[in-house]
Amino acid sequence: MTLIPEQGNQSVKWINKGNRSGLYLLVIIVVAVVIMSLLDPNFLTVRNLLNVLNQQSTLGIVTMGVAIALIAGCIDLTVGNLLACTAAIAALLLKAGVSDGLVVILACGAGLLAGAINGIIVVKTRIDSFIATLGLMTIYQGIALIIPNGNNIYLQGKFGWIGTFRLADIVPIPVIYFVIITIIVYLVMRYTRFGRKLYSIGGNSEAAFLAGINLDLHRIVAYAISGLCAGFTSLIVISRIGQSQPAMGIAYPLEAIAAAVIGGVSLSGGKGTIPGVFLGAILLGLIRNSLNILRVPSFYQYVMLGAVIIIAVTLSNLGAAKKNR
Amino acid sequence: MEQELLLEVKGCSKSFPGVKAFNKVDFNLYSGEIHCVVGENGAGKSTFIKMLSGALRPDEGTITIGGQLYSHLTPALAHQLGIQTIYQEISLAPDLTVAENIFIGAEPVTRFGFIDYPKLKKESKLLLDNLKIDLDVDAFIGSLSVPQKQSIQIAKAMRMAAKIFILDEPTASYGSNEISNLLELVKQVAERGVGVIYISHHLEEVFSLNDRITVLRDGNKIATHDKSEVTEEKIISEMIGRDVSKFYTRESVDIDYSKTVEFKNFSNGGAVKDASFKIHRGEIVGFAGMVGSGRTDLVRLIFGAGEKTSGSVIIEGKEIRIDNPRHAIQAGLSLLTEDRQKTGLILDHNIEWNVSLVHLTNTAGMFINEREESKDVSHYVQAINIRTPSLKQEVRNLSGGNQQKVVLAKWLYANSNVIIFDEPTRGIDIGAKEEIYKLMVQLAKQGKYILMISSDMPELIAMCDRVVVMRQGRIVGEIGRDQLSEENLLTYSIGGSI
Repeated sequence: MTLIPEQGNQSVKWINKGNRSGLYLLVIIVVAVVIMSLLDPNFLTVRNLLNVLNQQSTLGIVTMGVAIALIAGCIDLTVGNLLACTAAIAALLLKAGVSDGLVVILACGAGLLAGAINGIIVVKTRIDSFIATLGLMTIYQGIALIIPNGNNIYLQGKFGWIGTFRLADIVPIPVIYFVIITIIVYLVMRYTRFGRKLYSIGGNSEAAFLAGINLDLHRIVAYAISGLCAGFTSLIVISRIGQSQPAMGIAYPLEAIAAAVIGGVSLSGGKGTIPGVFLGAILLGLIRNSLNILRVPSFYQYVMLGAVIIIAVTLSNLGAAKKNR
Repeated sequence: MEQELLLEVKGCSKSFPGVKAFNKVDFNLYSGEIHCVVGENGAGKSTFIKMLSGALRPDEGTITIGGQLYSHLTPALAHQLGIQTIYQEISLAPDLTVAENIFIGAEPVTRFGFIDYPKLKKESKLLLDNLKIDLDVDAFIGSLSVPQKQSIQIAKAMRMAAKIFILDEPTASYGSNEISNLLELVKQVAERGVGVIYISHHLEEVFSLNDRITVLRDGNKIATHDKSEVTEEKIISEMIGRDVSKFYTRESVDIDYSKTVEFKNFSNGGAVKDASFKIHRGEIVGFAGMVGSGRTDLVRLIFGAGEKTSGSVIIEGKEIRIDNPRHAIQAGLSLLTEDRQKTGLILDHNIEWNVSLVHLTNTAGMFINEREESKDVSHYVQAINIRTPSLKQEVRNLSGGNQQKVVLAKWLYANSNVIIFDEPTRGIDIGAKEEIYKLMVQLAKQGKYILMISSDMPELIAMCDRVVVMRQGRIVGEIGRDQLSEENLLTYSIGGSI
């Protein structure tokens, strides 16, 4: 069995499995950090970096769900408005006096269920997942208005712990959620048969079907996980801002897809690693933070952020292309 | 009517990597003539059409059309010279009407620049009446049958005053009534001075139509005959004519006739019609037939990958319900598909992931033991000699032969008893072919049941204990090893009788 030599550098293998874009991303991030720390001494401080992670944790968790769906070849645009729905549900339950623990379970359950319904609709209608979830996204937008009758719902000081607690007074709890969820998703995608099946479905659904994989079931589960991540994230968001808003989360789907793609996930499925996705989400956060520190006006920030997405994806594609040659 | 020389092809050749697809072929076509071109799968018919329609550029030789000499054609030039190719995959717009399609790109307009619909319809009607095509000019193309669409294509070509029609396998798999209408139409347009090149492997049809027949084999022109002076037998023998004895010689295996896998009454209401056959333990059963005869559809039905209307599988006396590939795999079936890149492999994934796919997805357990996975995969990789620097190599970067071996390793790892090979050696080099043959015989020796679809007749003859022949969705014959010859196979495949 030793006749076949291993290829590649073991030390980068954890990012590297089948795709080198994670490595390129790490380089981009390091370069960005170096440049920023030269430009502004306040950038490279534990405080600021934790701040970046904290701000990015909600998008990061949503991105994990979206990335799982993308790896299985499914686009999920619903996460933003779905998050607003579960936020409203959670806020109403809290207002009605339901205990915090039960609210967490119910909101996550609602996200999971809605995600599963998304999956069933995509799979059974056989509509392209982009279009199907575009329609669903609009439906959730309506539901997010219907549930609270168009109003913001205030938590009146309840529920603060879940999003604002700091471990040892330093590390914000959402960062810990983000890291733990990333690790769990990584283990699932990398070491379980379920994860491997999702990669196979996204890589070549016909080959996966002929290998005996139940395509529909796995796609539905992928959407359900994406919904669960959105549901959980909604709890952090309402806890932080002390209220639910019908219009919250609208930017999430596209930012999450952007972060996943920067992280090496292919829109056509089958490719990408979870560490890559993690770095993709972080990079987006770093750039935004840098622009803030540099006092770039917010109008211009959008322009630059968009440019960064294009440049980052181009660079990581170049890396992948070189490897294929 | 004086016949005018429309087309003269001289010494045309075309090579693809590893294959001489077309070798110094001469061919000519007169006005008012139907010139049929016949040959086995891979004889060079498609290459020929593509050259004439401008899709392929010959490596050498000339094409003379209307007295003008060309080294090659382009699609635009072919069009301009009045060459119209009518493919089975129809090039009409399904959401436009018959009239709109006939005049597409050349619609009559009013003086304000709008389409003149009354005139469009009137002229279309005139054209159809003239050709005795009984179809409504307002009908949408999407609502017509395939032969009807082909009639409209012919009408459209007539409207464009085309001089040379190329019909590519026009009648595969339709009812006989519609075929005879189409054949009538072809005869009619020929009478009007058009030259028709008619590509077909249905000899019956060819003999009812043609003026001359050209036989292609392995890219060479074997002969051109006048219809009056040739027989079906002669054409068949010319289509074959290879020396089979030089081909691979396999080891013989003892077949256990007491154990069988039976496939009964498989139909799907279309491409497969009531197909039944059996395989004995240790036997290699071949499936012969022309492309489109329903062989691939049949094995997909067996494997639970297509919608069947009837069909059952009985493995060693026990009926097994197979509704999807998962059931099939659990029942001990494997299907190595015809198109390894599209349906067999995940090209972006590495060898390890591809090889372990079926095993992992059909055995119990939640986690992947990567160490065991690597060990098992490298066992198979070495056993069947996949040449690669690493198991982490993406299969995209492997050669065709090695890719096919990855597919093979995947199914060996699944450890099935009934293994279906669909064109296992297509597009791979001779060395890899022999390795795959050896492996198939080895599997038979281990007591597996083996089914092998192939369009390569020498391969079927060399490898199979028995060959089942399909034509137009039906099983039309079975030939035992002692009776196997290309002549017998071809006779069944194209609908003659022995």
